[in-house]
Amino acid sequence: MKHPLLSRVSLIYSLSVRNLWRQRRRNTILLVSVICAITGVVVLNSLIRGMQLQMVDQVVYNLNGHITLHAPDYRSDPAITRAFIEDSNEFERKLESLNLAGWATRIKIPAVVMSERETRGVQIVGIDPVQEHISIVADLPIEGTFLVDSADNRIVLGRALLTQLRTKIGHRIVLVMQDINSKSIEVGFQIAGVYDSDSEGMEKHVVFVGKDALQQFLGSESITELSLRFNTRLIPPNGLETISHAFPNLEVVDWKNIDPILAFMYESVNAMVYVWLAIVFTALVFGLMNSFITAVLERTQEIGLCKSMGMKSSLVLYQVVTESLIIMFLGLIGGLLLSWGVLQLLGDGIDLSAFAAGVEMLNLAPKIRPAIVWQDINIVIVATVFLALVASLYPAIRAVRLDPLVALRD
Amino acid sequence: MATEILTLTNVSRIYGKEATKVLALTDVSLSITKGEFVSIVGPSGCGKSTLLNLMGALDQPTRGAVHFDGNSLGEMSRGELTDLRLQKFGFVFQAFNLLPVLTAAENVQFVLQLLGFSRRERQSKTTEVLDALGLADVADRPATELSGGQQQRVAIARALVGEPVLLFADEPSANLDSTATRELCELLRQINTDRGITIVTATHDPLVMGYTNRSISLEDGRVVEDKSNP
Ligand SMILES: Nc1ncnc2c1ncn2[C@@H]1O[C@H](COP(=O)(O)OP(=O)(O)OP(=O)(O)O)[C@@H](O)[C@H]1O
Ligand SMILES: [Mg+2]
Repeated sequence: MKHPLLSRVSLIYSLSVRNLWRQRRRNTILLVSVICAITGVVVLNSLIRGMQLQMVDQVVYNLNGHITLHAPDYRSDPAITRAFIEDSNEFERKLESLNLAGWATRIKIPAVVMSERETRGVQIVGIDPVQEHISIVADLPIEGTFLVDSADNRIVLGRALLTQLRTKIGHRIVLVMQDINSKSIEVGFQIAGVYDSDSEGMEKHVVFVGKDALQQFLGSESITELSLRFNTRLIPPNGLETISHAFPNLEVVDWKNIDPILAFMYESVNAMVYVWLAIVFTALVFGLMNSFITAVLERTQEIGLCKSMGMKSSLVLYQVVTESLIIMFLGLIGGLLLSWGVLQLLGDGIDLSAFAAGVEMLNLAPKIRPAIVWQDINIVIVATVFLALVASLYPAIRAVRLDPLVALRD
Repeated sequence: MATEILTLTNVSRIYGKEATKVLALTDVSLSITKGEFVSIVGPSGCGKSTLLNLMGALDQPTRGAVHFDGNSLGEMSRGELTDLRLQKFGFVFQAFNLLPVLTAAENVQFVLQLLGFSRRERQSKTTEVLDALGLADVADRPATELSGGQQQRVAIARALVGEPVLLFADEPSANLDSTATRELCELLRQINTDRGITIVTATHDPLVMGYTNRSISLEDGRVVEDKSNP
């Protein structure tokens, strides 16, 4: 019985392995360069991806969440009159199918704060402290005490604002805001505590009060935003659509809308990752091709002999391509393993605090923690196979074009 | 009646163009009959290799036609010619015959792999032919470590293992001393008589010529003599 395919595959495979082994020094160098290139791409991409995701983390973390829902006209004029009813049961029901870390309901409206000495414009944020495990609020360092619950009628403000107002914890301050009837009201709050933040803007402008307490002062049962945070670092595919469907009467805003500059940077990084991959692999393709052409030329006689004996052109072609595939496959395995090792070493992150100024300007975290994006790895794998084919195709065609007689003569 | 398996009709082969053109073969007509052991003889450059390559479907004539089993080689595609060489012909070349990365046995198996035989069949056929040619001892040695005579015998084994109709040998004894040449010729004669394989060999060695039963003499690309050897 004949097994044409099997026996030809085994022939091609054993010839390829032997040929590679015969030039083991050259091929080892080739393999090492492939491993280095793949490791370089994977590791650097993971760092870039880490940086990129950390930028997103920060936006999401800073009182925004991945997605925020508002009444449709709220964003053009934030006021308690442009709010929506808080119905926890409804929210719970609509959101339960999503992979959420949690959600928080808030009232965010402008106010003017007055101490005995100073007056400042601020954003007053009414929160339920229990829900705020999804945001930066839970991690703010506090002097004094934080709000205990949603009904807490005290206030927490940033250190910078406290200094500006020249007041103290335990003292009272007055906030002027508009109630549900668009009437200005003045409400006095006792300062429960002071928070510190990396952002001076936040310290100066954001004050926290209990949401229920604030609703009572404003004469409203409503909230101005529902903020969602997913368990994943990015919004999962379809996440935005699902939520838009579930809340047709609300404006759905994702982090990209909230911070367009960051969104632009995020997209640029996507492009950068692929450009970098393309550059490295283009450089590699010429090295590989050169090496395979040499390999074909030094085997001119052998290829001629094979063809004289009746080896089909297609097999000659596959044979050369197989050599390339074997090298690239080993390179891929080696490169991925080495990348894994390097990333393991970098696991804690690279400390950028030496470049603190630039880091802050670019809104980067002080430590870059590499992030592996599987889609990038898949692209590297596909690109490697593609590279193996591209680099060997021309040398293989040269082998196919060899006239068996010319090949045998010299 | 003897059957003609290979026929050349008014075959010419011109290499190169215009100024540098070489008439390697001019108007050659002959046929090879099944079971013959033919030698093509003549001085260096007379066109022996050219003739053999045309017969073996390795090359195409500039003019004239070559028929194998009644089919014109000129009308076959490249792939069909490759298949023809694989399935019907065996080749032994002058100097370069074996793939250096393979062992003697693997070189023989190569043809069987191209032909698509199963592993078990490949092994039994290879063992059989290597044993028959007294090569059992060197079967697993790399081709590069064999002596000239051993290499030529392995080449013959490889040419035989696919059970070809025709065996072409281009100066198979060129690198061999007279003892090795004699052994090789004995072997070829044995293959010719025992297995009934038709053999065409190019040579300028009278010793080889003496073993064959027909000699075609070439001079400047023309057949000048075609005689049977008693
Ligand atoms: N590819 C080629 N291009 C140009 N001329 C060639 C080519 N091959 C052979 N020739 C010429 O054709 C003529 C016949 O060559 P061929 O190789 O057939 O002779 P030969 O009888 O086999 O010689 P030898 O005994 O040296 O092997 C020679 O003059 C040779 O130089
Ligand atoms: Mg010759």
